[in-house]
Amino acid sequence: MLRIENTLFTIVLITYFLSMAFYFLYVVGKKKIYSRLGLGLQILGLVLHTAAIICRGIGAGRLPLTNQYEFASAFAWGLCLISLIFILIYRFYTLGAFASPVFLVMTGYAALLDNQVRELMPALRSGWLGIHVSTAIISYGAFGLAFVLGIVFLLRDKLKARGFLDRHLPDKEKLDMLGYRSVALGVLFLTITIITGAIWAEQAWGRYWSWDPKETWSLITWIIYAIYLHLRIRRGYHGKAAAIFAIIGFGCVLFTYVGVNTLIPGLHSYG
Amino acid sequence: MRFAMILLGILVVACTAGSLIPQGQTYAWYAEKYSERTAALIVATHLDDAFHSWWFILINAFLCINLIACNLVRLPSLIRRTKNYAKPDENPVVSAPYHEDINTAFTKMKMSGVKEMEKNGHRVLFSFKHRIGLWGAWVCHLGVLLLIVGYSLGQMTYKEYAVYGVPGDTLAVPGTSLAVTIDDFRIELREDDTVEQYTADITAFDLSKSSEGKSATISVNHPADLLGYRFYQNSTGWAANITILKNGEYFQSKVVCAGDYLPVQDKPELVIYFNAFYPDYQFIEGYGPSTRSGKVLNPAYLYSVYYMGQMLGMNVLSSEDVLTIDEYTVYFSEPQSYTLIQIKKDSFTWLAFVGALVIIAGLFLAFYIQPQKLWAVEEEDGSWTVKASCKKGDMLFRRQFETEIEGKNKDASY
Ligand code: HEM
Repeated sequence: MLRIENTLFTIVLITYFLSMAFYFLYVVGKKKIYSRLGLGLQILGLVLHTAAIICRGIGAGRLPLTNQYEFASAFAWGLCLISLIFILIYRFYTLGAFASPVFLVMTGYAALLDNQVRELMPALRSGWLGIHVSTAIISYGAFGLAFVLGIVFLLRDKLKARGFLDRHLPDKEKLDMLGYRSVALGVLFLTITIITGAIWAEQAWGRYWSWDPKETWSLITWIIYAIYLHLRIRRGYHGKAAAIFAIIGFGCVLFTYVGVNTLIPGLHSYG
Repeated sequence: MRFAMILLGILVVACTAGSLIPQGQTYAWYAEKYSERTAALIVATHLDDAFHSWWFILINAFLCINLIACNLVRLPSLIRRTKNYAKPDENPVVSAPYHEDINTAFTKMKMSGVKEMEKNGHRVLFSFKHRIGLWGAWVCHLGVLLLIVGYSLGQMTYKEYAVYGVPGDTLAVPGTSLAVTIDDFRIELREDDTVEQYTADITAFDLSKSSEGKSATISVNHPADLLGYRFYQNSTGWAANITILKNGEYFQSKVVCAGDYLPVQDKPELVIYFNAFYPDYQFIEGYGPSTRSGKVLNPAYLYSVYYMGQMLGMNVLSSEDVLTIDEYTVYFSEPQSYTLIQIKKDSFTWLAFVGALVIIAGLFLAFYIQPQKLWAVEEEDGSWTVKASCKKGDMLFRRQFETEIEGKNKDASY
């Protein structure tokens, strides 16, 4: 099973790469067929990626969401899924050209990590952990998409000529709204992530909140996005300011996910 | 709200500092890691225990006051707006003439429950939905408040104890009237020697009442509630039986955990300290004693002997070796695992979790239950004008209106 996973994972990387290539061709070559090919390959990649994750789950005999490799892979999967949903709902194919490099890089990062299956220490064997990590994937995926949309917004802000991209990107108000909706999704799921994590910690360690660096940084991320939500209500903080905030917020997300593990020691050092 | 955002900003800075500076260390430790000046600064500003410092509590208190004030001030207008939601607005957000069958305007905008009414002498068809969504932010703020209050009360009142021992022990929990008997303790190993689970069977007694004890099985991730306390299987370590002979005759014996000590019964100034246990002992030059595996294959005991507080010596004993001090002979046997049980009482955890659930509900209302209303006014000439109101940020509804009612931007694709 793990061998199959390995092979699938390689194919996923290639598929994502091709998907990105076609999305780029769409932006450069301006033919509708390219965008549909990019989309098709993204869907194919996502299906294979799902299969790879399931294979790993069967091979390891547990939920494959417990170490940096598994989480990085799932994170890329989440971003791919959520961007796909946005592309389909809002018929926003050019988004693929911006989102695909991010989930491709994420998948590539996962490929660099140690992917050996290790047995879990007893504290990690909990149903709450499964919910905790699954909601984290959706949340991080949504923040990742908000980051991408923030970049698209800033880019659009710079576009003056009425070129292809100008016609094939939603107007600024709509981009802003899409960014807001993906932050909202992220905040809702980050809240659930933090709370299920707290329930798990209460059962495993007897404390639902102990201010370990990972917990603290997830709280910081949560507060940053809370500030974003409030600023948006006020005039003058729409559009550009919100886009920049979404980009900074995602920096926080990445720090919580990677930075805390490598830079600050704590209870969460396993994943 | 500006003040609140500044508070949240300060909270972010405080949390960042608290996570980057290792917490709960001594002045000497910080002086070693940073410099004397920095260490003095850290200790003076309580950055060594940032999350329990007076200023951190003060920020949170301000945040609570702010939330209470904000929610109280907004309550009357929120109730009024909720009541008035079942009526057309004076100032609709969007408005456009509509030339098709007027009922299709409502179906296209996915509005149902259309009511007919009269306003300023005009016939009006009116429908609304999701007015509960007006409460999203209010509910969310209430949840944040409950969460902070629940957490703070818990911090002020929670009690935590720990006891450790081997099966058969009955241990009094210091500071309470509780006692715990460890009926059994098991470590389940997998094939590759890693630990699957630590499980203890325990019975708790309340010594102040002569009632029967209450039993439960606890393991990692599966605590049990007994007599108003919650019991956790926290960790484990090694213990062994220390036997003392006096002039060759049995004299004294007790199970002692590694890290603990045993005073000689008739000479308490003489103390045997059980430093560490090596289940599969090996000695590597340059490294010292260690263990090859977790299995008891070649047990060895690191001990030290103290007399009136002075260390006389330290050494490693195997199961066959004995230690002789004057008329006493000491040996170690029957290595076994002890369990550390954590006992906790936090009467406000439920409040924090209720707060958390309320936050989730509030966020869901704020983001996904968008209050919307749509109505059509019949003009004198018999034509219809369709009007709608929604939240300022609800651009999807406005766009839907533009597409469905005004007929703009159909099939936008990018
Ligand atoms: C002391 C702190 C706070 C104050 C004074 C405050 C105040 C406000 C105000 C005045 C609004 C506008 C309400 C409306 O338009 O209906 C609002 C909206 C909101 N607040 Fe707060 N807030 C605080 C903290 C928080 C926190 C910590 C959160 C947690 C996430 C939060 C979540 C929200 C949400 C979700 C909204 C609605 C946003 C939207 O609809 O886009 N607030 N807040």
